[in-house]
Amino acid sequence: MSQVASLLIALPLISAFFVPVLKQIRKSLIFPYLVIITLIQTGIAGWVFYEVYTTGKPILIYAGGWKPPVGINLYIGHFAALFALVIAIVSFLTALFSFKAINVEPVDKYAMLFLLLMLGATGMIATGDIFNLFVFMEITAITAYALTAYNKTGEAAEASMKYIVLGGIGSSFFLVGVALLYGATGTLNMAQLAEFASEGNIAPVVAQVGLALVIFGLAVEAELFPLNAWAPDAYQAAPHPITAMFSAFVVKAGLYAMARILYLLQDAQGWSSVLKLLLIMATLTVIFAELSALRQKDVKRMIAYSSIGQIGLIALAFSLGTEAGVSAGVFHMLNHAIVKALMFLAIGYVGVTLGGTRLENFEGLGKKMPLTAFALSVGAVSTVGVPLFNVFWSKFRIIVATLQAGHVWPAALVLFASVVEAVYYFRLLHLIWFSGEGERVRESWFVVFLIILALLIIAIGVYPTPAWEIAKRAGSDIFAVANYIKNVPLIRLG
Amino acid sequence: MISAYYFGAISLILIGLYAVLVKKNILKILIGLSIMETGVNLLLISIGYVSGRSAPILSEGIGPLQAVDPIPQALVLTAIVIGVATTAMALSVAIILYEKYGTLNIEEIRRLRG
Repeated sequence: MSQVASLLIALPLISAFFVPVLKQIRKSLIFPYLVIITLIQTGIAGWVFYEVYTTGKPILIYAGGWKPPVGINLYIGHFAALFALVIAIVSFLTALFSFKAINVEPVDKYAMLFLLLMLGATGMIATGDIFNLFVFMEITAITAYALTAYNKTGEAAEASMKYIVLGGIGSSFFLVGVALLYGATGTLNMAQLAEFASEGNIAPVVAQVGLALVIFGLAVEAELFPLNAWAPDAYQAAPHPITAMFSAFVVKAGLYAMARILYLLQDAQGWSSVLKLLLIMATLTVIFAELSALRQKDVKRMIAYSSIGQIGLIALAFSLGTEAGVSAGVFHMLNHAIVKALMFLAIGYVGVTLGGTRLENFEGLGKKMPLTAFALSVGAVSTVGVPLFNVFWSKFRIIVATLQAGHVWPAALVLFASVVEAVYYFRLLHLIWFSGEGERVRESWFVVFLIILALLIIAIGVYPTPAWEIAKRAGSDIFAVANYIKNVPLIRLG
Repeated sequence: MISAYYFGAISLILIGLYAVLVKKNILKILIGLSIMETGVNLLLISIGYVSGRSAPILSEGIGPLQAVDPIPQALVLTAIVIGVATTAMALSVAIILYEKYGTLNIEEIRRLRG
């Protein structure tokens, strides 16, 4: 019965291949088809989430019935179950939004790439094998390159080219890291790799260099500081729905993969120096992103920088090496996924309706589109970290965990960056509510979903405990590696 | 003494990286990326090589103990395909860039600024 969970991977793959068939029948069927598939995916992910959280046991899927470490296994633990659900819900919302926002031909290719992007991200968080992780990462990356260039303007091609070159370098580094780890241990299975590390069978140099290469490779997908130059351009030039997907889960999948591989090797010698590398990268990411966001004229680009800053915060939480930090990081991932999905959908909606996402377009938005403006404001206030909104709790926990781990400077710098963040968000809010005149523009049914997301933000902000409990269980899924090894039954070969 | 395979593979990666970092023409950058991918594939293959053994195709006279490690070969097969897909994607983007900007020099392709 639990093998049904493999549909999380299989369904988007199969349905992506049916899109060209559907196009031959009728073009107008493609977007309803996309909505139905993402809805089914949400249903399956919801069932998997319920199953994993009620039984407390991860769902293991063996490809072809070969037990690990011989075959590839999917490990849908607490974390993967939670984020498969987040991915499915965000995909469903973006599929609905695509009706309005995508009017560039060819829509069939858009639908295929959309489904493959969802597939790649789900696979990245579900897999239990590092080479399989690489393959899913490349599926995600190549579809992301193509979707960035989808608008066929010069800017879109430019952004996509930057992304391709950086992503190519990153994936090469990642593969070299995998080759090193394989050469030293002779296994690609994550559980067995962790077992080797906990028995002290990995040479410290290999663990350090391999991990550093893997982190550098994944940092491109995860938008960490030296390798994130592609991100603001790609966010600005990509179609609006795709931006929401990038920020809500593509980045998260990269971050998760980074944290997973990092914590698998936590018993290897020299691990703490890799943590320091990540700590520095994460702090720099937060500072540079927030300072760059301050001087943006395009709102989408501004929110893109803000998104990078929040990602840096999550990476900071993962680089602490404590359980509190990892749980806080996962909590922030969840909150940030909700908030940024809302922000990018709302901004995209404004961009589609009023023709552009420059700051001028947002002047007097409170009078023109009050409901959208309300949702956008909730998202903005939440991102800054005002109490009674969800991001406050996770930011607070990250700062506390950072201080507990003894890193005063990173905590201070991150707090400073939050102040900077408040400046540009409140400037935006002022522009929306207190300046400009405008006629009322009719808002369509899509606004309902924005309002639901906004209410969800407030609900988690007022009652953080249930969400925090979920995040804590998902966090211990990453942190407690001994448990992870125990959950994956490895067959012993002579 | 470091093996010639490792040395050659890592040199290829570094040559590719050098081309990506230094060259101004997009096509040369993409050639650099391809060289880098080739280097990585070569590194993967040479990790699985066991001196004196033959290809891992089990037939008469060649058992599992006379063959080299088959896993890196499966990995490389996948990695080659991924590399080709990335290159094809990048080349099509390069075509669009040339149509829209009339140049392939990365210093002149700068419309997106923050």
